[in-house]
Amino acid sequence: MNENSTRRQFIEGSCRVLGFVTIGGAAGLLTQRASANAVYQVDPFKCTSCDLCRTACVLSHSAVKAVNDFEKCGYCMLCPAYMDVLSKPDEHGIPTGKVCPQDALKRRVVGKVDAEDPNNNYYEYVVDEARCDGCGKCVKACMAPAGNASLRLEIRYSRCVECNECAIQIVCPDRAIVRVAAPGMAPAGPVR
Amino acid sequence: MEPNDRDTTSVSVRDRLWKAWLPGVAAVGALAALVAGSLRVRPTPKAAPPRAQPAGTPGPAERAAAPGTGARAAAPAQPVRGLARTYSQSAVLGGAGSPDRFLRSLTGIAVGADDHIYLLGDDEIRVCDPGGNRLRSWQATAHAGCLAVGADGRVYVGSPDRIDVYDAGGTHVTGFTAGEKDKPADVTALAVLGTDILVADASARIIRRYGPDGRPRGLIGNQNKTGGFILPNRSLDVGVDARGVVYATDTGRHQVTAWALDGSPLGKFGKFGMSAPEDFVGCCNPVNVALTPDGMVVTGEKMVARVKVYDPDGTLLAVIGPEHFDPSTTHIHLAVDSRGRILAADPVRREVKIFSLNQTLQERERP
Amino acid sequence: MRGGWHLESARTRYLCLLLLILAALASGMLSAQYQKKPPDFGGTYSFPTPTHPEPRAAWVRTLDVAMLVAGLGLGAWIVLKRRSRDGTVLLSIGTIAYFGFYRKGCICPIGAIQNVTLSLVDSRYMISLGVIAFFFLPLVATLLFGRIFCGGVCPLGAVQDLVLLRPLKVPEKIDRALSWLPYVYLGLAVWFAGWGLHLTLGTWQIQMGRRFLICEWDPFIGLFRVSGPFHMLAIGAGFILGGMFIGRPYCRWLCPYGGLLAILSRVSWKKVEITPDKETDCGLCAEACPFGAIQHLRADQATCLACARCYMSCPQELERRGIPTGDGTLIQMQRP
Repeated sequence: MNENSTRRQFIEGSCRVLGFVTIGGAAGLLTQRASANAVYQVDPFKCTSCDLCRTACVLSHSAVKAVNDFEKCGYCMLCPAYMDVLSKPDEHGIPTGKVCPQDALKRRVVGKVDAEDPNNNYYEYVVDEARCDGCGKCVKACMAPAGNASLRLEIRYSRCVECNECAIQIVCPDRAIVRVAAPGMAPAGPVR
Repeated sequence: MEPNDRDTTSVSVRDRLWKAWLPGVAAVGALAALVAGSLRVRPTPKAAPPRAQPAGTPGPAERAAAPGTGARAAAPAQPVRGLARTYSQSAVLGGAGSPDRFLRSLTGIAVGADDHIYLLGDDEIRVCDPGGNRLRSWQATAHAGCLAVGADGRVYVGSPDRIDVYDAGGTHVTGFTAGEKDKPADVTALAVLGTDILVADASARIIRRYGPDGRPRGLIGNQNKTGGFILPNRSLDVGVDARGVVYATDTGRHQVTAWALDGSPLGKFGKFGMSAPEDFVGCCNPVNVALTPDGMVVTGEKMVARVKVYDPDGTLLAVIGPEHFDPSTTHIHLAVDSRGRILAADPVRREVKIFSLNQTLQERERP
Repeated sequence: MRGGWHLESARTRYLCLLLLILAALASGMLSAQYQKKPPDFGGTYSFPTPTHPEPRAAWVRTLDVAMLVAGLGLGAWIVLKRRSRDGTVLLSIGTIAYFGFYRKGCICPIGAIQNVTLSLVDSRYMISLGVIAFFFLPLVATLLFGRIFCGGVCPLGAVQDLVLLRPLKVPEKIDRALSWLPYVYLGLAVWFAGWGLHLTLGTWQIQMGRRFLICEWDPFIGLFRVSGPFHMLAIGAGFILGGMFIGRPYCRWLCPYGGLLAILSRVSWKKVEITPDKETDCGLCAEACPFGAIQHLRADQATCLACARCYMSCPQELERRGIPTGDGTLIQMQRP
């Protein structure tokens, strides 16, 4: 009986050691490849504003929002992302329809303003993040050549819950949601 | 020994707590949270459409021109009738399959006094004869974006903040910085008349006039309420006719504006419109302008990529339709030779299309 | 060439994420023309500073690993040393609060199986030290102390453990048959994470890229996020309702990580043992265990989920704590 239990303990002990060694080896191998923490972000060059960002996020109010890059924005009065250029024009010839279904794109006139010709000025466009639902209609309308492509969809980390596998990334038809390195550690080498 | 009543009571209460109350509360709470989540539920997303992407995936610019987007929707389907002039394509230079095509970029075109064609692309200046055969070429400055040719054959090349001058053989003669000390220029176009060099500065939104040595001679276009042109697309084009009338594209106002060399305004024409052919579409058009030898104004537009010819009062004379140009282009660089042929450079396809004037209506109606 | 989005040359500074995006935009512009500067609008205008919120900071992610270590340590002490059911329950509540509702269940060691698989298959796949720690630390803890991770540290297990009201006895044959499922799930999860499914049978074809099945079918992540697609919430509700009457169905018969832990805990150094050397063989622990882990009056290490319920029912254990035990009253109390 004692011999049996000692032999059993020996086998158990060696299996345990084997387990530690395997774990240590695998962990060591992976640690060599360890790199930055990864988060998901939208690649604006691949995105085609298909509207799935609005519906596919696990959150009911998607973490993807439109963002305007002010350095690229044309500050157009006739912004194709703000107004539907093909809609019925008013008496000044300015189209009256809006592109954003949530009315999330806001504008105000800036710069040296021509008070007598209010329709010919520069306008600053800002996305109201609380209203934006990430549908991407404004992003699509701002694409070249109609616009300067200053509007893009972006995953806002103040809202994203950082799922291990982004639910939007699964359904994105352009593979536009990519993993990027979060601030902190440098990636060890080529990354995916 | 009798069990201690107090102890067993306290143990059994705690027992019941862990065994009955806690699981019940936990289960109810969890189910409530799931119900709350289901009230915020959205339909499970549909499966992604098949990913039929070719190897060279087109960028957003190309995809913007896909069916259904604004550009294609706004393009007039039928050729415009009833105009005084018609043009037809007579040649294509540097197109696909051409041995001398530009590989990376085509950003400027000008015509010299001898009808030689001067092209700026692939970081070099290329001089061709009217048939398109290359005569000579030399390297341009880095980031060169526009060029103009003087009557004496001198070539003026604009980089973002400086102008470089070459002689007819390609030797660098002089160069000067455009703009003011604390406001570097963004040179997007050049025009030359005699000794005046007209520099389109998109950063200051005006046209700067310089002498041949780079000495500033004045400003054109700042005499309006906004202190300059409205340029949402950050690009200003300039042309000058033989009489010294300077034409500039006020893209945000959808106008072609005319000025004297001293800066006084002479007139303007054009307005925004998505349907009428004489109007300019989109947010910022026309993006390019050139002058014909008989003083007509040639304009280039983006979004509905087309070239139009107006008389100086703004009457539409001809439309060279979008079928000739790439729908995603943001410019159509223009030049006109002494025979009135319009040379239109498409920077996306990197080719130059030459359009010749057909008989005008008046000539046709002549008995 | 629109080459801006190959991440081989990504540099990481504090704002590396923002720089990556802006660099990609800039390189795209350079391919066509010189980067246009914004014009001078005249008047007094200054560009607004846009906000680009940062993802979770690196130190917070390190805190997650520290909390995992603390949880495992606490779990080992509570289950093996203190042998306290109260402590296990409190630890479960704590883990549901932190790893469940605060971290929204991501990232967990169960899901980390997929990240580790993908990293082993594709060396370019970004995996962080935190994810590696999340995968390996519970394995080490199991080799040392048994399935204490399952006991009070895993948020999925904790949810099922806390809603268990009246466990029904599952016939042994069914239990044994179902206990193969975790390995099937593990195999599927590894296969889909590493390679995806590419099948051609005659004219019938399936092409599916790499997917994280464990994440997509996680029963309780909808609960922790209080949001999600309908099928996820339904699965969660199903497991909660089922878990009220069947002890920990996901842990015993589905959890792929549990399958790994079951193998490792057979040779663990310290085990859940019921007052060794003092067995009275009364069988009260076997009745108390909702998971059928007490076989022949000994704890079966592979199945024992370290919930500490057996200790609460053992007369020897209660005596050790000084809780008086009379015969009749005790048996009345111990009905689970």
